[in-house]
Amino acid sequence: MLDTFEILTTSGVVLWSRTYAPISPAIVNHFIADIFIEEKAASTGAKDNQPTANNPPYKYDQHTLKWTFVKELGVIFVAVYRSLLHLSWIDKLVDNLKTIFVDLYGDQLKKPNTTLVHCHKFDEYFDQQYQELESRGTTKGAQAADTPFHFEEGAVSGNLGDDPPLPPGLKQRTKPHSTAKDVSPPSELASIAITNTSRPSTPGGGSHLLVGKSGPMTRMSRKARKMQHNHSAPASSGDEAPSRKGKKAPKKGRRWDADGFADEKDDVQLDYSAAQNTMTSDSEAEATGRSTAVEGVDSTSWGTTTSKGQFVLRDLGDEVHSILKSAEEKNAASGATPRGGLVGSGLSTIGGLFRNVVGGKTLTKDDLDKAMKGMEEHLLQKNVAREAAIRLCEGVEKELLGVKTGSFESINARIAKAMEASLTKMLTPTSSSDLLREIDAVTRPSATSMRKRRPYVISIVGVNGVGKSTNLSKICFFLLQNKYKVLIAAGDTFRSGAVEQLKVHVRNLKELTEREGGNVEIFEKGYGGDAATVAKDAVREAANEGYDVVLIDTAGRRHNDQRLMSSLEKFAKFAQPDKILMVGEALVGTDSVAQARNFNSSFGPGRHLDGFIISKCDTVGDMVGTLVSIVHATNVPVLFVGVGQHYSDIRNFSVKWAVEKLLSNS
Amino acid sequence: MSSSTPIMEHLKGALEYILTPSTPVITIGLLIVFFVPILVHFFISRQTPYTSLPFILLAGPAGGGKTSLLTLLERGDTAAETHTSQTPHGVELTVSSDAGASTFREAAREDAPGSHKKFFLVDTPGHGKLRGTAMAHISGDGKANQSQFGDSAMLRGIMYVLDAATLDDSLADAATYLYHVLLALQKRTGSGSTSRSPNAVHVLIAANKLDLFTALPALLVRSQLEAELGRIRQSRSKGLLDSGVGTDEIGSEEQDNWLGEYGSEKFTFGQMREFDIEVDVISGSVLEGNVDKWWDWISDRI
Repeated sequence: MLDTFEILTTSGVVLWSRTYAPISPAIVNHFIADIFIEEKAASTGAKDNQPTANNPPYKYDQHTLKWTFVKELGVIFVAVYRSLLHLSWIDKLVDNLKTIFVDLYGDQLKKPNTTLVHCHKFDEYFDQQYQELESRGTTKGAQAADTPFHFEEGAVSGNLGDDPPLPPGLKQRTKPHSTAKDVSPPSELASIAITNTSRPSTPGGGSHLLVGKSGPMTRMSRKARKMQHNHSAPASSGDEAPSRKGKKAPKKGRRWDADGFADEKDDVQLDYSAAQNTMTSDSEAEATGRSTAVEGVDSTSWGTTTSKGQFVLRDLGDEVHSILKSAEEKNAASGATPRGGLVGSGLSTIGGLFRNVVGGKTLTKDDLDKAMKGMEEHLLQKNVAREAAIRLCEGVEKELLGVKTGSFESINARIAKAMEASLTKMLTPTSSSDLLREIDAVTRPSATSMRKRRPYVISIVGVNGVGKSTNLSKICFFLLQNKYKVLIAAGDTFRSGAVEQLKVHVRNLKELTEREGGNVEIFEKGYGGDAATVAKDAVREAANEGYDVVLIDTAGRRHNDQRLMSSLEKFAKFAQPDKILMVGEALVGTDSVAQARNFNSSFGPGRHLDGFIISKCDTVGDMVGTLVSIVHATNVPVLFVGVGQHYSDIRNFSVKWAVEKLLSNS
Repeated sequence: MSSSTPIMEHLKGALEYILTPSTPVITIGLLIVFFVPILVHFFISRQTPYTSLPFILLAGPAGGGKTSLLTLLERGDTAAETHTSQTPHGVELTVSSDAGASTFREAAREDAPGSHKKFFLVDTPGHGKLRGTAMAHISGDGKANQSQFGDSAMLRGIMYVLDAATLDDSLADAATYLYHVLLALQKRTGSGSTSRSPNAVHVLIAANKLDLFTALPALLVRSQLEAELGRIRQSRSKGLLDSGVGTDEIGSEEQDNWLGEYGSEKFTFGQMREFDIEVDVISGSVLEGNVDKWWDWISDRI
């Protein structure tokens, strides 16, 4: 069922976790990187305090993650389970646990300069919620179809691995362990051994076979579930439930700690059917009298061993319910907060004006709305596509809601600061790339790496007339200055004059770098041929002749022409470029988003663009919004910007420069 | 009209009283003039607590074990489970100035012996997109309130935590980040508005995860990093200019962006000594609690 539930802070510390089946930490790490840091999800990133159902589940490596996020405290709640399973109650579980956790430990979380949060007692709350919601989920008719499947899965992995996920009938036995990690490896092994030896005592054959074991278990749990259905009358639970329990009891002398391992150190005799029959039924009857939830009785009678333990759990349930209820009421109340009288609002207005100047004002939605409109307008004027501008503004607004401004800091200054941070985060590439080092790694592999020397292949794509050939020759000039042997492949076999244009570039480059020993040639097959084949031949020729770098020019194509775009997939397969760079104009407006998206998805599955070259940056002045639009659309970094007509007018992209230009007021 | 006249009369009287020079009016005026600025000052200074504790910065690529180390030093017994960090986080720790509590385990206890010095250990996210926070702490070019743990003048040392077990694969990334950190430190030493150079910031390269058997020993980590930094330095000098660099600055930029001794063939960490930057490489393991040498290094810095 549930594999892991974790509560972690934005600073990366796991505050509390419960593991039923160990999962790789990489799953949660990828989840954080994709959702929170790179904001790859379609609906942007981390929304504050949103119910779990509204957050899109994150899927990675056969696991599904359901999550919610409390921004104010910087706490993320994540539930991880197998994607095969369909657990309808997970959303509710995550939401309820969030409410409880924030209510209980919110104060501790607000303390600065510490990572310590004492939440050992949260185990009990978790167990209570888990049992309640799970039993509620299983009693639902809709669940009936897929629950037997869970049992089977549980039984299978129980046979194969040493960490069986529990079938629900057993899972209700889970007892809270306050210390999660006290099981040392030897005792784990021992407990597994004991588990195996104790299995033959299972009623119903007691064979080691998969079928033999999963069979009765499923039947048993189904009966149990049926019982939960039938037990609307509390009187019947007194005599029926304990007797069934008695039959199963020897099998259930196991406890499961937080890591999902069986723990039989304190081997309590669980067969209470004979000795404590009367006592259990007594306490059950009493409990039913106190509680209104009928099905709760059943689950607690399964889950605890003594009548004392039963009461503890019941009290906890009441507390949890009261917490959830008060949170709900608070939510409802906050929706309809009555405004103060005339005097009150007048005072708060004056106070607000004062704080606006001095700072220390807590930002509300009203404050932000107007200023954010201005910021959006500003971004649009900088030629940022509306889609990207809205996403940025929404992100900043979410970040700033409820934040206090600093001393003598106006709202606008605060927003500008947040926008700067947001833009920097967006434009900064995940991994910095240094073209020369990458070329060196391929063309001069170190002796230890066992790789064969081969030429480094760069291909350049883009819409018509954005400057593909020009930027290609600029890159070529840069590479020639670094003493690389370059072969230029004329992949544009369509437009007349394209090959001649490249020939002129090559002649110029030869002249320019002759003194420094530049070595550049052109590879061309005339017009009308297949571009992919030309590229492939060029790479082969370069490998034979000992070239370092192959630069492949391609024909310009309209991004929404399916016929032209489809040939790119074949091209990527034939030429196997190390880098596919797309040239985008700084001049283009909103269309840049669609261009970048279409090109990014046209190379077939598993291949994307590796970077952008933004050309004609010198012609737009401060309006470099295209940069933001394309990075927003694809999450692919900008590598170079073209800033002039000369061969040397190409620059590395500097995030600081772009952010400064975007936020400048002129 | 008749009802408003008494009020007008009243106002007129009050106005006349205020504008007539008399002792109580002057004293009240003077009191306001003197005390309002003081009150405003207290109002503001109360809101922004001034922290002037020295701090040690934890930097390094993601997955190195920075947050883990932070929790280990704070708790004293075991490190907490951690995932990728998104926000910087500071923790107040104490070292004993005399040899009262020699290890972090004793220092983490509340009744640790000896006299104490407090400091912040600041954890920064190592994800490629979020390295700006660490760089802001180092260079201090932002406003004072950008780094929430005091200004960069109080920076005493940088612990560059990296994963020694997977260094073969992640060498390029680890070295690039280290290159930027060292370059920022070098510039910090070189540039200063006053003639007094800022206090020396030392760098500890903490080669973590020694418990794994693929982990490289400290010496190998050192030599590999030095070689890679040399390569980066070489390719940076040949690379393109950054956008936004004006043509007039081209000549002067050259020397500033060269890490270490200008024009030297090979890069060694020893070259950083010229800029008052000592670089040590010490290996350890957070998971096994084998971080005593790192703690000693921190104690020396505070």
